[in-house]
Amino acid sequence: MIARLVEYLVVSARQVTRKRMRVFLTALGIAIGVAAVVGTVSLGEGIRYQAVEAIKEQSDLTLIEATADIRGGAIQFITPAKIDELDAIPHAAASSAVVREAYATKRQTYLEVVGIDPGGIENVIRPKYLKGEPLATGSRQAVLGHDIAETLQRYEGVRLGDTIPILVRRYDENGMPVDEEVDFTLVGVLQERDDAFDQVMLIDRGVAQELRGDDTTFDGVLIRIDSPDAVFAVVDDVKTLGLTAEGAFQQIESVNRLMDVVVLILAFFAGVSLIVGALMIVNTMVMSVFERTREIGITMAIGASPGDVVHLILAECLYIGLIGGVLGDLLGVAFSGVINTFGRPFIVAQLGDTFSTFSDGDITLITPELLVIGMTIAIALSLVSGLYPALKASHLNPVTAIRTGV
Amino acid sequence: METIIETIHVNKAYNDQVTALADVNFAVGKGEFVALLGRSGSGKSTLLNILGGLDAPTSGEVHIGGRRVDFSDRKALIALRRGSIGFVFQSFNLIPALTAQENVEYPLLFNYRDRAARAKRAADLLSLVGLADRAHHYPREMSGGEQQRVAIARALVGDPLIVLADEPTGNLDSRTRDGIFELMRQVNRERETTFLLVTHERELGRRTDRTIELLDGSVVS
Repeated sequence: MIARLVEYLVVSARQVTRKRMRVFLTALGIAIGVAAVVGTVSLGEGIRYQAVEAIKEQSDLTLIEATADIRGGAIQFITPAKIDELDAIPHAAASSAVVREAYATKRQTYLEVVGIDPGGIENVIRPKYLKGEPLATGSRQAVLGHDIAETLQRYEGVRLGDTIPILVRRYDENGMPVDEEVDFTLVGVLQERDDAFDQVMLIDRGVAQELRGDDTTFDGVLIRIDSPDAVFAVVDDVKTLGLTAEGAFQQIESVNRLMDVVVLILAFFAGVSLIVGALMIVNTMVMSVFERTREIGITMAIGASPGDVVHLILAECLYIGLIGGVLGDLLGVAFSGVINTFGRPFIVAQLGDTFSTFSDGDITLITPELLVIGMTIAIALSLVSGLYPALKASHLNPVTAIRTGV
Repeated sequence: METIIETIHVNKAYNDQVTALADVNFAVGKGEFVALLGRSGSGKSTLLNILGGLDAPTSGEVHIGGRRVDFSDRKALIALRRGSIGFVFQSFNLIPALTAQENVEYPLLFNYRDRAARAKRAADLLSLVGLADRAHHYPREMSGGEQQRVAIARALVGDPLIVLADEPTGNLDSRTRDGIFELMRQVNRERETTFLLVTHERELGRRTDRTIELLDGSVVS
């Protein structure tokens, strides 16, 4: 079978080399379409890459939180068994169960409180301290995120070592709310992280559970992943356990969702030019079959089956597709270079603030996959376009073809 | 003598009106060199196409090599053309994109023989027709006579029982024509290949073993 295909290709190569100019021009038609697709998609992929890199650089990507979720009609709670299962996920370097609660200070500043084991803070959140020191287990101490620390200092004058009075609402035997004041000592302030922890007050988990009056349930498990490349695999594993995962990786997910659509639209409009290329192939091959009517009749008279004729014509189209694909990839890379040179100043001016990395990176990205796709499009399209001429040729009546052919 | 071509009550009509062949009956033996004579329009080419499995008769039977040809079986017809028949056409009809050698090999491509055996056989046949030194020339680089010699080599490459030649000397000057004719006779004598030669030239007919003359679709002698 392979040997047969090689034979067809050898014979067709002779036909193709005999009409170099025509084949080249036809292939160029496909090449321009492929180049348009490769060029525009490389722009989309380049922007996607830059955006993802910017997120990776600016946020703590390897920290995620698994939280309870409703899956398959049943609520999946964070139970001790689940915590063990989460611990067992490959690439989960460290984890710590947390309790989340919302309180207010005596002067009505809203506080998002995370109760976590002090060891977990160091192993999982791995914070850097702007000032102060870590929490001590079992004591009413607090470590503040950068932003909330600033807020409390500005509006309530709370400084390191000061007391933060917090109102914890309880209900008396008549069901009436009673606010009890609980004092925490501010022992540490974290450096700015550009994530949710900037707004959080960290306290000891045991203390948090005591305030809530419940020491059996958790609200989530923070997981530190050992490598940025493993983040999405761990997220998948968390989801397999029936839980939801949250973290900076979600920004990458939303960038990818957006860019998928953008790239698809870009590719679609660029792909319109492929239709023109395909019609050129149909035209060239129909002409070629017409010119060679007699030759095809002879070929059939000396023993070729209609299937042989189809294969011979399609083999010629395959060459057009191959040439078109190679030319298209080369032109696409060139096109991508042009976009990069002339488009980057414009894009940086528009988005420079958001993605500071743009100014020193390329805005287009050519991946091997993209080149393979370009090649595949060219070959597939040329074969599809060649089908009609090939079938037309194979349906020729050899007698009339030999008698009337050119 | 073994009968290699036999037609029994073969009729051919186009659109149920124009009669191309009317009750054609004849037989050709193995190794015969037969001329099929007739004016243009007498049905010679139609008969040749039917014998070669390119066209189907309206009614009647055709036997090639002792077997009845089933004109409804396309695969069998292709096998017949590949295995038993060699064609030589009037206007040479080589494939312009291929060299002489490749043109001779071309039918074997569809017989799926291996490449080395194919090249050897084609080279042998080119020597036979006296064109060993022209193997790598393209048809456009050869004279009409040379092209027709290549076409004869191509017709012989599949080792056919019968060579069907449709006016093979029609486009050649008289000296070249004699050369081509002698080549075919020589092949006929040396290899016992049966030749059926369609021609309108009576003079050529006289130099064959036997002539069959067609007039208005019927055998007259």
